[in-house]
Amino acid sequence: MDLRVSNYFDRSNKVNINVNNKKIEAYEGECLAVVLFVNNIKKLRLSPKKRQSRGMFCLMGSCQECVVLIDDKKVISCNVFIKDGMKIKVGDFDK
Amino acid sequence: MINNRKYDVIVIGAGPSGVSSAINCAKKGLKVLIVDLNSNSGGQIYRAPPKTYKSISKKLEENVIQNKLSDEIKKFKIETAYNHTVWQVSPGFKVNAFNETSTIQWQSKSLIIATGTYEKIIPFEGWTIPGVIGLAACTVILKAHHFIPSKKIVLAGNGPLLMLVAYYVIQFGGKVDAIIDTSSKIDWIKSTLSLITNPKNFRDGIKWIFKIFLKRIPFYSNSTVEKAFEVDGGINVKIRNLKNGKAKNIISETIAIGHGLIPSTDITRLLRAEHIYDEQKGGWIAKVDRFLRSSISGVYIAGDGAGISGALAATDKGLLASSALLYDEKFISQTEFDHNTYKILKKLDKYEVFAKAIFKLNSTPKKLIESINNGTVICRCEDITKSEILRAVDQGAKDINQIKSWTRLGMGPCQGRTCHYATSKIVAEYLNCEIDNLGYLTGRSPIRPVPLDRVLGDFDYEKITKVEAAPL
Repeated sequence: MDLRVSNYFDRSNKVNINVNNKKIEAYEGECLAVVLFVNNIKKLRLSPKKRQSRGMFCLMGSCQECVVLIDDKKVISCNVFIKDGMKIKVGDFDK
Repeated sequence: MINNRKYDVIVIGAGPSGVSSAINCAKKGLKVLIVDLNSNSGGQIYRAPPKTYKSISKKLEENVIQNKLSDEIKKFKIETAYNHTVWQVSPGFKVNAFNETSTIQWQSKSLIIATGTYEKIIPFEGWTIPGVIGLAACTVILKAHHFIPSKKIVLAGNGPLLMLVAYYVIQFGGKVDAIIDTSSKIDWIKSTLSLITNPKNFRDGIKWIFKIFLKRIPFYSNSTVEKAFEVDGGINVKIRNLKNGKAKNIISETIAIGHGLIPSTDITRLLRAEHIYDEQKGGWIAKVDRFLRSSISGVYIAGDGAGISGALAATDKGLLASSALLYDEKFISQTEFDHNTYKILKKLDKYEVFAKAIFKLNSTPKKLIESINNGTVICRCEDITKSEILRAVDQGAKDINQIKSWTRLGMGPCQGRTCHYATSKIVAEYLNCEIDNLGYLTGRSPIRPVPLDRVLGDFDYEKITKVEAAPL
Protein backbone atom coordinates (compact mmCIF):
# COMPACT_ATOMS: atom_id res chain seq x y z
CA MET A 1 0.00 0.00 0.00
CA ASP A 2 1.37 3.39 -1.02
CA LEU A 3 1.04 5.67 1.96
CA ARG A 4 1.27 8.83 -0.14
CA VAL A 5 -1.69 11.20 -0.02
CA SER A 6 -2.21 12.64 -3.48
CA ASN A 7 -5.41 14.67 -3.04
CA TYR A 8 -3.64 18.00 -2.82
CA PHE A 9 -0.30 17.84 -4.57
CA ASP A 10 1.41 16.18 -7.52
CA ARG A 11 4.84 14.82 -6.72
CA SER A 12 7.83 15.54 -8.94
CA ASN A 13 9.84 12.92 -10.91
CA LYS A 14 10.13 9.35 -9.76
CA VAL A 15 13.73 8.59 -8.78
CA ASN A 16 15.73 5.84 -7.08
CA ILE A 17 17.74 6.09 -3.94
CA ASN A 18 20.08 3.51 -2.50
CA VAL A 19 19.65 2.48 1.12
CA ASN A 20 22.21 -0.03 2.44
CA ASN A 21 22.65 -1.19 -1.18
CA LYS A 22 18.93 -1.70 -1.65
CA LYS A 23 17.02 0.27 -4.27
CA ILE A 24 14.09 2.34 -3.00
CA GLU A 25 11.73 4.28 -5.25
CA ALA A 26 10.68 7.77 -4.24
CA TYR A 27 9.83 11.14 -5.72
CA GLU A 28 12.36 13.89 -6.05
CA GLY A 29 12.16 16.40 -3.20
CA GLU A 30 10.28 14.20 -0.72
CA CYS A 31 11.54 14.20 2.86
CA LEU A 32 14.10 11.41 3.35
CA ALA A 33 13.11 10.57 6.94
CA VAL A 34 9.47 10.12 5.92
CA VAL A 35 10.30 8.07 2.81
CA LEU A 36 12.44 5.71 4.91
CA PHE A 37 9.72 5.43 7.56
CA VAL A 38 6.91 4.56 5.14
CA ASN A 39 9.19 2.03 3.42
CA ASN A 40 9.49 0.36 6.80
CA ILE A 41 13.15 1.35 7.15
CA LYS A 42 12.66 2.58 10.68
CA LYS A 43 15.89 1.56 12.40
CA LEU A 44 18.18 4.38 11.36
CA ARG A 45 21.04 4.21 13.85
CA LEU A 46 22.17 2.77 17.19
CA SER A 47 22.21 4.65 20.49
CA PRO A 48 25.71 5.29 21.88
CA LYS A 49 25.67 3.27 25.10
CA LYS A 50 22.98 0.62 24.96
CA ARG A 51 23.34 0.17 21.17
CA GLN A 52 19.56 0.19 20.79
CA SER A 53 17.96 0.93 17.44
CA ARG A 54 16.65 4.44 17.05
CA GLY A 55 14.60 6.16 14.39
CA MET A 56 12.78 9.28 13.30
CA PHE A 57 11.14 10.92 16.28
CA CYS A 58 10.41 14.67 16.31
CA LEU A 59 10.63 15.46 12.59
CA MET A 60 11.52 19.10 13.23
CA GLY A 61 15.26 19.12 13.67
CA SER A 62 15.22 19.13 17.46
CA CYS A 63 15.83 15.57 18.72
CA GLN A 64 18.66 14.53 16.33
CA GLU A 65 17.50 10.89 16.44
CA CYS A 66 17.06 10.43 12.69
CA VAL A 67 20.75 10.75 11.79
CA VAL A 68 21.84 8.62 8.80
CA LEU A 69 24.93 8.57 6.60
CA ILE A 70 24.57 10.20 3.20
CA ASP A 71 27.67 9.91 1.02
CA ASP A 72 29.52 9.07 4.23
CA LYS A 73 28.43 12.23 6.00
CA LYS A 74 26.20 12.26 9.09
CA VAL A 75 23.02 14.24 8.59
CA ILE A 76 19.60 14.44 10.20
CA SER A 77 17.35 12.83 7.61
CA CYS A 78 14.27 14.92 8.51
CA ASN A 79 15.86 17.90 6.82
CA VAL A 80 17.04 16.12 3.67
CA PHE A 81 15.09 16.07 0.43
CA ILE A 82 15.35 13.15 -1.97
CA LYS A 83 17.68 13.45 -4.94
CA ASP A 84 18.18 10.79 -7.60
CA GLY A 85 20.94 8.34 -6.79
CA MET A 86 21.38 9.37 -3.16
CA LYS A 87 23.43 6.77 -1.24
CA ILE A 88 22.24 6.24 2.30
CA LYS A 89 23.52 4.04 5.08
CA VAL A 90 21.39 3.20 8.10
CA GLY A 91 21.93 0.93 11.10
CA ASP A 92 25.29 0.20 12.69
CA PHE A 93 27.36 2.84 10.89
CA ASP A 94 28.50 4.81 13.89
CA LYS A 95 31.54 2.84 14.98
CA MET B 1 33.02 31.18 5.53
CA ILE B 2 32.61 34.16 7.83
CA ASN B 3 30.45 36.85 6.34
CA ASN B 4 29.89 39.86 8.53
CA ARG B 5 26.72 41.13 6.97
CA LYS B 6 24.99 43.61 9.23
CA TYR B 7 21.30 44.07 9.86
CA ASP B 8 19.15 46.27 12.07
CA VAL B 9 17.27 43.22 13.23
CA ILE B 10 17.60 39.47 12.77
CA VAL B 11 14.45 37.43 13.25
CA ILE B 12 15.13 33.80 14.13
CA GLY B 13 12.25 31.60 13.05
CA ALA B 14 9.92 32.08 10.07
CA GLY B 15 6.68 30.92 11.65
CA PRO B 16 3.65 33.22 11.89
CA SER B 17 5.12 35.40 14.66
CA GLY B 18 8.55 35.67 13.05
CA VAL B 19 7.00 36.75 9.77
CA SER B 20 4.62 39.31 11.32
CA SER B 21 7.43 40.87 13.36
CA ALA B 22 9.79 40.97 10.35
CA ILE B 23 7.15 42.70 8.24
CA ASN B 24 6.35 45.20 10.98
CA CYS B 25 10.05 46.15 11.13
CA ALA B 26 10.50 46.20 7.35
CA LYS B 27 7.52 48.57 7.00
CA LYS B 28 9.44 51.13 9.05
CA GLY B 29 12.49 50.83 6.84
CA LEU B 30 14.65 48.58 9.04
CA LYS B 31 17.08 46.19 7.40
CA VAL B 32 15.69 42.79 8.39
CA LEU B 33 16.95 39.23 7.98
CA ILE B 34 14.76 36.25 8.73
CA VAL B 35 16.48 32.92 9.39
CA ASP B 36 14.92 29.46 9.45
CA LEU B 37 16.09 25.88 9.38
CA ASN B 38 13.28 24.91 7.00
CA SER B 39 13.22 25.66 3.28
CA ASN B 40 10.27 28.01 3.54
CA SER B 41 8.25 30.15 5.93
CA GLY B 42 5.38 28.72 7.96
CA GLY B 43 7.13 27.34 11.04
CA GLN B 44 5.74 24.06 12.32
CA ILE B 45 2.08 24.99 12.51
CA TYR B 46 1.91 25.99 8.82
CA ARG B 47 4.85 23.86 7.73
CA ALA B 48 5.32 24.18 3.98
CA PRO B 49 5.25 21.13 1.72
CA PRO B 50 8.55 20.31 -0.05
CA LYS B 51 9.34 22.69 -2.91
CA THR B 52 8.95 19.97 -5.53
CA TYR B 53 5.26 19.40 -4.67
CA LYS B 54 2.91 20.94 -7.25
CA SER B 55 -0.47 21.99 -6.00
CA ILE B 56 -3.35 20.43 -7.96
CA SER B 57 -6.49 22.33 -7.05
CA LYS B 58 -7.85 22.29 -3.54
CA LYS B 59 -5.51 23.00 -0.69
CA LEU B 60 -5.38 22.37 3.02
CA GLU B 61 -6.09 25.51 5.00
CA GLU B 62 -2.62 25.36 6.57
CA ASN B 63 -0.98 25.30 3.15
CA VAL B 64 -3.04 28.34 2.09
CA ILE B 65 -1.93 30.34 5.15
CA GLN B 66 1.67 29.35 4.47
CA ASN B 67 1.39 30.67 0.90
CA LYS B 68 0.18 34.00 2.27
CA LEU B 69 3.18 34.25 4.60
CA SER B 70 5.52 33.57 1.68
CA ASP B 71 3.82 36.21 -0.45
CA GLU B 72 4.06 38.83 2.30
CA ILE B 73 7.78 38.20 2.77
CA LYS B 74 8.26 38.72 -0.97
CA LYS B 75 6.03 41.79 -1.06
CA PHE B 76 8.06 43.56 1.62
CA LYS B 77 11.35 42.35 0.08
CA ILE B 78 12.57 40.86 3.34
CA GLU B 79 15.88 39.07 3.12
CA THR B 80 15.57 35.39 4.02
CA ALA B 81 18.09 32.74 4.96
CA TYR B 82 16.14 29.48 4.75
CA ASN B 83 17.85 26.10 5.21
CA HIS B 84 20.08 27.73 7.82
CA THR B 85 20.41 26.18 11.25
CA VAL B 86 21.38 28.62 13.99
CA TRP B 87 23.98 27.03 16.27
CA GLN B 88 25.38 29.97 18.21
CA VAL B 89 24.18 33.43 19.20
CA SER B 90 26.43 35.76 21.14
CA PRO B 91 26.06 39.26 22.60
CA GLY B 92 26.55 42.04 20.20
CA PHE B 93 24.58 40.35 18.47
CA LYS B 94 26.33 37.78 16.37
CA VAL B 95 24.27 34.97 14.90
CA ASN B 96 26.07 31.91 13.56
CA ALA B 97 24.34 29.43 11.29
CA PHE B 98 25.20 26.66 8.89
CA ASN B 99 23.59 25.40 5.73
CA GLU B 100 24.35 22.46 3.45
CA THR B 101 27.77 23.75 2.48
CA SER B 102 29.17 26.30 4.91
CA THR B 103 28.82 28.38 8.04
CA ILE B 104 27.95 32.03 8.12
CA GLN B 105 27.87 34.84 10.67
CA TRP B 106 25.51 37.80 10.65
CA GLN B 107 25.41 40.77 12.98
CA SER B 108 22.48 42.82 14.16
CA LYS B 109 21.59 45.52 16.64
CA SER B 110 18.44 43.75 17.81
CA LEU B 111 17.16 40.21 17.86
CA ILE B 112 13.65 38.86 17.61
CA ILE B 113 13.56 35.28 18.77
CA ALA B 114 10.59 33.50 17.23
CA THR B 115 11.72 29.93 17.65
CA GLY B 116 8.38 28.68 18.94
CA THR B 117 8.15 25.37 20.70
CA TYR B 118 8.97 21.74 20.42
CA GLU B 119 6.89 18.83 21.58
CA LYS B 120 6.63 17.69 25.18
CA ILE B 121 6.74 13.91 25.35
CA ILE B 122 6.70 12.14 28.70
CA PRO B 123 8.86 8.99 28.44
CA PHE B 124 7.58 5.43 28.88
CA GLU B 125 9.34 2.09 28.62
CA GLY B 126 9.90 1.54 24.91
CA TRP B 127 9.47 5.13 23.71
CA THR B 128 12.88 4.86 22.08
CA ILE B 129 11.97 2.05 19.69
CA PRO B 130 11.79 3.08 16.04
CA GLY B 131 8.12 3.37 15.18
CA VAL B 132 7.31 5.54 18.19
CA ILE B 133 7.12 9.13 16.99
CA GLY B 134 5.90 12.49 18.24
CA LEU B 135 2.31 13.50 17.70
CA ALA B 136 3.58 16.76 16.21
CA ALA B 137 5.87 14.73 13.92
CA CYS B 138 2.72 12.93 12.80
CA THR B 139 1.00 16.21 11.87
CA VAL B 140 4.06 17.19 9.82
CA ILE B 141 3.95 13.84 7.98
CA LEU B 142 0.25 14.32 7.24
CA LYS B 143 -0.11 18.01 6.53
CA ALA B 144 3.28 19.07 5.16
CA HIS B 145 4.64 15.90 3.55
CA HIS B 146 1.26 14.42 2.62
CA PHE B 147 1.81 10.84 3.73
CA ILE B 148 0.10 8.69 6.31
CA PRO B 149 2.81 7.25 8.60
CA SER B 150 1.52 3.67 8.41
CA LYS B 151 -1.66 1.74 7.65
CA LYS B 152 -2.47 1.47 11.34
CA ILE B 153 -1.55 3.80 14.18
CA VAL B 154 -2.12 4.33 17.90
CA LEU B 155 -2.41 7.93 19.07
CA ALA B 156 -1.49 8.74 22.65
CA GLY B 157 -0.80 11.64 24.98
CA ASN B 158 -3.27 14.45 25.51
CA GLY B 159 -4.76 17.68 24.22
CA PRO B 160 -6.42 18.70 20.97
CA LEU B 161 -3.56 17.44 18.78
CA LEU B 162 -4.81 13.88 19.46
CA MET B 163 -8.11 14.73 17.79
CA LEU B 164 -6.54 16.65 14.91
CA VAL B 165 -4.14 13.82 14.05
CA ALA B 166 -6.92 11.21 14.32
CA TYR B 167 -9.06 13.28 11.96
CA TYR B 168 -6.36 13.57 9.30
CA VAL B 169 -5.28 9.92 9.53
CA ILE B 170 -8.89 8.85 8.88
CA GLN B 171 -9.43 11.53 6.22
CA PHE B 172 -6.29 10.38 4.37
CA GLY B 173 -7.28 6.69 4.44
CA GLY B 174 -5.40 5.32 7.45
CA LYS B 175 -6.74 3.43 10.45
CA VAL B 176 -6.55 4.66 14.05
CA ASP B 177 -6.39 1.59 16.29
CA ALA B 178 -6.86 3.53 19.51
CA ILE B 179 -6.70 6.98 21.09
CA ILE B 180 -5.12 6.96 24.55
CA ASP B 181 -5.71 10.18 26.48
CA THR B 182 -4.37 11.03 29.96
CA SER B 183 -7.31 13.42 30.42
CA SER B 184 -10.83 12.34 31.29
CA LYS B 185 -13.97 13.01 29.24
CA ILE B 186 -15.06 15.35 32.04
CA ASP B 187 -11.87 17.40 31.54
CA TRP B 188 -12.90 17.86 27.91
CA ILE B 189 -16.47 18.84 28.79
CA LYS B 190 -15.23 21.31 31.43
CA SER B 191 -12.98 22.97 28.87
CA THR B 192 -15.73 23.68 26.32
CA LEU B 193 -16.80 27.01 27.83
CA SER B 194 -13.28 28.36 27.54
CA LEU B 195 -12.55 26.78 24.17
CA ILE B 196 -15.65 28.36 22.64
CA THR B 197 -14.00 31.80 23.05
CA ASN B 198 -12.08 30.87 19.94
CA PRO B 199 -14.93 29.88 17.60
CA LYS B 200 -12.74 28.95 14.64
CA ASN B 201 -10.63 26.43 16.57
CA PHE B 202 -13.71 25.26 18.46
CA ARG B 203 -15.52 24.43 15.22
CA ASP B 204 -12.47 22.53 13.97
CA GLY B 205 -12.41 20.56 17.22
CA ILE B 206 -16.07 19.57 16.88
CA LYS B 207 -15.41 18.43 13.30
CA TRP B 208 -12.49 16.22 14.45
CA ILE B 209 -14.38 14.70 17.39
CA PHE B 210 -17.42 14.01 15.20
CA LYS B 211 -15.30 12.03 12.76
CA ILE B 212 -13.66 10.03 15.58
CA PHE B 213 -17.10 9.29 17.01
CA LEU B 214 -18.51 8.17 13.65
CA LYS B 215 -15.59 5.81 13.08
CA ARG B 216 -16.08 4.32 16.58
CA ILE B 217 -12.38 4.52 17.36
CA PRO B 218 -11.57 2.89 20.73
CA PHE B 219 -10.97 5.77 23.12
CA TYR B 220 -9.08 5.22 26.39
CA SER B 221 -9.52 8.14 28.81
CA ASN B 222 -7.41 8.59 31.97
CA SER B 223 -4.93 6.26 30.32
CA THR B 224 -1.37 6.12 29.11
CA VAL B 225 1.01 3.89 27.18
CA GLU B 226 2.90 2.15 29.97
CA LYS B 227 5.13 0.05 27.81
CA ALA B 228 5.80 -0.69 24.14
CA PHE B 229 7.86 -3.43 22.53
CA GLU B 230 8.43 -4.81 19.08
CA VAL B 231 6.53 -7.90 17.97
CA ASP B 232 6.13 -9.57 14.60
CA GLY B 233 4.52 -7.07 12.29
CA GLY B 234 4.45 -4.15 14.65
CA ILE B 235 4.50 -2.80 18.16
CA ASN B 236 2.76 -4.19 21.23
CA VAL B 237 1.20 -1.27 23.10
CA LYS B 238 0.41 -1.81 26.76
CA ILE B 239 -2.28 0.63 27.84
CA ARG B 240 -2.66 1.41 31.55
CA ASN B 241 -5.62 3.19 33.06
CA LEU B 242 -4.14 5.68 35.53
CA LYS B 243 -7.30 5.71 37.64
CA ASN B 244 -8.38 2.10 38.05
CA GLY B 245 -5.07 0.42 37.16
CA LYS B 246 -6.56 -1.80 34.45
CA ALA B 247 -4.20 -2.81 31.64
CA LYS B 248 -4.82 -3.84 28.05
CA ASN B 249 -2.51 -4.81 25.17
CA ILE B 250 -3.07 -3.98 21.53
CA ILE B 251 -0.87 -4.38 18.48
CA SER B 252 -0.34 -1.60 15.98
CA GLU B 253 2.34 -0.37 13.56
CA THR B 254 3.15 3.09 14.85
CA ILE B 255 2.64 5.00 18.09
CA ALA B 256 2.38 8.78 17.85
CA ILE B 257 2.56 10.38 21.28
CA GLY B 258 2.67 13.93 22.60
CA HIS B 259 1.73 15.78 25.79
CA GLY B 260 1.71 19.39 24.65
CA LEU B 261 4.42 21.88 23.82
CA ILE B 262 7.58 23.24 25.41
CA PRO B 263 8.78 26.77 24.61
CA SER B 264 12.17 26.78 22.95
CA THR B 265 14.66 28.58 25.21
CA ASP B 266 17.91 27.46 23.53
CA ILE B 267 18.93 30.95 22.44
CA THR B 268 17.77 32.90 25.48
CA ARG B 269 19.57 30.45 27.78
CA LEU B 270 22.69 30.82 25.64
CA LEU B 271 22.45 34.62 26.00
CA ARG B 272 22.05 34.24 29.78
CA ALA B 273 18.68 35.97 29.81
CA GLU B 274 16.59 35.56 32.95
CA HIS B 275 14.18 32.63 32.92
CA ILE B 276 11.23 31.70 35.09
CA TYR B 277 9.30 28.48 35.55
CA ASP B 278 5.64 28.72 34.60
CA GLU B 279 3.91 25.36 34.24
CA GLN B 280 0.87 26.95 32.58
CA LYS B 281 3.01 28.59 29.92
CA GLY B 282 4.87 25.39 29.08
CA GLY B 283 7.70 25.15 31.66
CA TRP B 284 10.89 27.22 31.69
CA ILE B 285 10.43 30.41 29.69
CA ALA B 286 12.43 33.56 29.14
CA LYS B 287 11.20 36.30 31.47
CA VAL B 288 9.52 39.03 29.43
CA ASP B 289 7.63 42.24 30.12
CA ARG B 290 4.11 42.66 28.72
CA PHE B 291 5.54 43.91 25.42
CA LEU B 292 7.74 40.78 25.11
CA ARG B 293 11.09 42.41 25.89
CA SER B 294 13.45 39.89 27.46
CA SER B 295 15.79 40.77 30.35
CA ILE B 296 18.51 41.52 27.79
CA SER B 297 18.33 44.88 26.09
CA GLY B 298 17.70 44.42 22.36
CA VAL B 299 16.32 40.87 22.61
CA TYR B 300 12.58 40.36 22.06
CA ILE B 301 10.63 37.11 22.13
CA ALA B 302 7.78 36.70 19.66
CA GLY B 303 5.37 33.78 19.41
CA ASP B 304 5.19 30.86 21.80
CA GLY B 305 8.84 31.09 22.93
CA ALA B 306 8.06 33.04 26.10
CA GLY B 307 4.88 31.17 26.93
CA ILE B 308 2.40 29.21 24.88
CA SER B 309 -0.65 31.00 23.59
CA GLY B 310 -1.17 29.23 20.28
CA ALA B 311 -1.02 29.87 16.56
CA LEU B 312 -3.76 32.49 16.37
CA ALA B 313 -2.02 34.63 18.99
CA ALA B 314 1.39 34.17 17.35
CA THR B 315 0.89 36.85 14.69
CA ASP B 316 -0.19 39.38 17.32
CA LYS B 317 2.71 38.49 19.59
CA GLY B 318 5.03 39.13 16.64
CA LEU B 319 3.46 42.56 16.19
CA LEU B 320 3.77 43.29 19.91
CA ALA B 321 7.45 42.32 20.19
CA SER B 322 8.38 44.22 17.04
CA SER B 323 6.42 47.31 18.16
CA ALA B 324 8.45 47.30 21.39
CA LEU B 325 11.63 47.10 19.32
CA LEU B 326 10.53 49.93 17.02
CA TYR B 327 9.69 52.10 20.01
CA ASP B 328 12.93 51.32 21.87
CA GLU B 329 14.96 52.12 18.75
CA LYS B 330 12.95 55.34 18.25
CA PHE B 331 11.36 54.35 14.93
CA ILE B 332 7.89 55.03 16.32
CA SER B 333 6.59 57.59 18.83
CA GLN B 334 5.07 56.88 22.20
CA THR B 335 1.63 57.71 20.75
CA GLU B 336 2.03 55.30 17.85
CA PHE B 337 3.35 52.62 20.19
CA ASP B 338 0.45 53.03 22.62
CA HIS B 339 -2.04 53.04 19.77
CA ASN B 340 -0.55 49.91 18.14
CA THR B 341 -0.19 47.87 21.28
CA TYR B 342 -3.49 48.74 23.01
CA LYS B 343 -5.62 46.62 20.67
CA ILE B 344 -3.10 43.79 20.49
CA LEU B 345 -2.95 43.46 24.28
CA LYS B 346 -6.75 43.27 24.44
CA LYS B 347 -6.82 40.56 21.77
CA LEU B 348 -4.09 38.61 23.51
CA ASP B 349 -6.06 38.65 26.77
CA LYS B 350 -8.85 36.88 24.90
CA TYR B 351 -6.48 34.27 23.50
CA GLU B 352 -5.20 33.60 27.03
CA VAL B 353 -8.60 32.13 28.04
CA PHE B 354 -8.27 29.64 25.20
CA ALA B 355 -4.60 28.93 25.93
CA LYS B 356 -5.40 28.19 29.59
CA ALA B 357 -8.08 25.69 28.61
CA ILE B 358 -5.68 23.96 26.23
CA PHE B 359 -3.07 23.91 28.97
CA LYS B 360 -5.49 22.09 31.28
CA LEU B 361 -6.06 19.41 28.65
CA ASN B 362 -2.30 19.18 28.11
CA SER B 363 -1.30 19.18 31.79
CA THR B 364 1.03 16.48 33.02
CA PRO B 365 -0.74 14.41 35.70
CA LYS B 366 1.32 13.38 38.72
CA LYS B 367 0.29 9.78 38.09
CA LEU B 368 1.79 9.91 34.60
CA ILE B 369 5.20 10.81 36.04
CA GLU B 370 4.85 8.12 38.72
CA SER B 371 3.99 5.54 36.06
CA ILE B 372 7.44 5.78 34.44
CA ASN B 373 9.34 2.55 35.16
CA ASN B 374 12.83 2.82 36.69
CA GLY B 375 14.50 1.17 33.71
CA THR B 376 13.02 3.67 31.23
CA VAL B 377 15.55 5.66 29.22
CA ILE B 378 14.90 9.35 29.91
CA CYS B 379 17.84 11.00 28.08
CA ARG B 380 17.66 9.40 24.65
CA CYS B 381 20.95 10.87 23.40
CA GLU B 382 23.07 9.40 26.19
CA ASP B 383 20.90 6.40 27.19
CA ILE B 384 20.38 7.59 30.77
CA THR B 385 17.61 5.78 32.65
CA LYS B 386 15.29 7.02 35.37
CA SER B 387 17.12 4.93 37.99
CA GLU B 388 20.49 6.41 36.96
CA ILE B 389 19.03 9.90 37.43
CA LEU B 390 17.59 9.02 40.84
CA ARG B 391 20.89 7.41 41.88
CA ALA B 392 22.70 10.68 41.05
CA VAL B 393 20.12 12.55 43.13
CA ASP B 394 20.66 10.14 46.05
CA GLN B 395 24.40 10.72 45.78
CA GLY B 396 23.91 14.46 46.12
CA ALA B 397 23.03 15.95 42.73
CA LYS B 398 20.26 18.33 43.72
CA ASP B 399 20.14 20.58 40.67
CA ILE B 400 19.64 19.76 37.02
CA ASN B 401 23.12 20.95 36.01
CA GLN B 402 24.65 18.69 38.68
CA ILE B 403 22.58 15.80 37.35
CA LYS B 404 24.00 16.64 33.92
CA SER B 405 27.60 16.56 35.19
CA TRP B 406 26.92 13.36 37.14
CA THR B 407 25.24 11.35 34.42
CA ARG B 408 25.83 13.06 31.00
CA LEU B 409 22.06 13.67 30.77
CA GLY B 410 21.45 16.56 28.36
CA MET B 411 25.01 16.46 26.98
CA GLY B 412 24.09 14.72 23.74
CA PRO B 413 23.18 16.11 20.33
CA CYS B 414 19.73 17.35 21.41
CA GLN B 415 21.24 19.36 24.30
CA GLY B 416 18.45 18.31 26.64
CA ARG B 417 15.57 19.54 24.49
CA THR B 418 13.91 16.10 24.60
CA CYS B 419 14.51 15.18 28.29
CA HIS B 420 14.78 18.45 30.24
CA TYR B 421 11.09 18.76 31.09
CA ALA B 422 10.55 15.11 32.05
CA THR B 423 13.74 14.98 34.13
CA SER B 424 12.69 18.08 36.09
CA LYS B 425 9.29 16.52 36.73
CA ILE B 426 10.74 13.17 37.82
CA VAL B 427 13.28 14.72 40.19
CA ALA B 428 10.87 17.28 41.65
CA GLU B 429 8.44 14.45 42.31
CA TYR B 430 11.19 12.33 43.92
CA LEU B 431 12.48 15.16 46.13
CA ASN B 432 9.01 16.57 46.67
CA CYS B 433 10.23 20.04 45.71
CA GLU B 434 9.33 22.78 43.23
CA ILE B 435 10.88 22.61 39.77
CA ASP B 436 12.21 26.17 40.28
CA ASN B 437 14.58 24.77 42.91
CA LEU B 438 16.22 22.44 40.39
CA GLY B 439 17.12 25.22 37.96
CA TYR B 440 17.46 24.80 34.22
CA LEU B 441 20.22 23.52 31.97
CA THR B 442 22.77 26.26 31.30
CA GLY B 443 22.74 27.09 27.59
CA ARG B 444 25.82 25.78 25.82
CA SER B 445 26.96 26.29 22.26
CA PRO B 446 26.52 24.69 19.78
CA ILE B 447 22.77 24.45 20.30
CA ARG B 448 22.61 22.15 17.23
CA PRO B 449 25.43 19.82 16.15
CA VAL B 450 27.63 21.63 13.61
CA PRO B 451 29.29 19.50 10.94
CA LEU B 452 33.01 20.28 11.13
CA ASP B 453 33.44 20.35 7.35
CA ARG B 454 31.12 23.36 7.22
CA VAL B 455 33.19 25.23 9.79
CA LEU B 456 36.44 24.46 7.98
CA GLY B 457 35.16 25.42 4.55
CA ASP B 458 37.45 25.11 1.53
CA PHE B 459 41.10 25.93 2.01
CA ASP B 460 44.44 24.97 0.64
CA TYR B 461 46.57 23.55 3.44
CA GLU B 462 49.78 24.78 1.80
CA LYS B 463 48.55 28.37 1.87
CA ILE B 464 47.94 28.47 5.62
CA THR B 465 50.40 30.61 7.57
CA LYS B 466 52.00 28.19 9.95
CA VAL B 467 52.95 29.48 13.35
CA GLU B 468 56.14 28.15 14.87
CA ALA B 469 55.65 26.01 17.92
CA ALA B 470 56.32 27.71 21.24
CA PRO B 471 59.71 26.80 22.79
CA LEU B 472 59.49 24.08 25.40
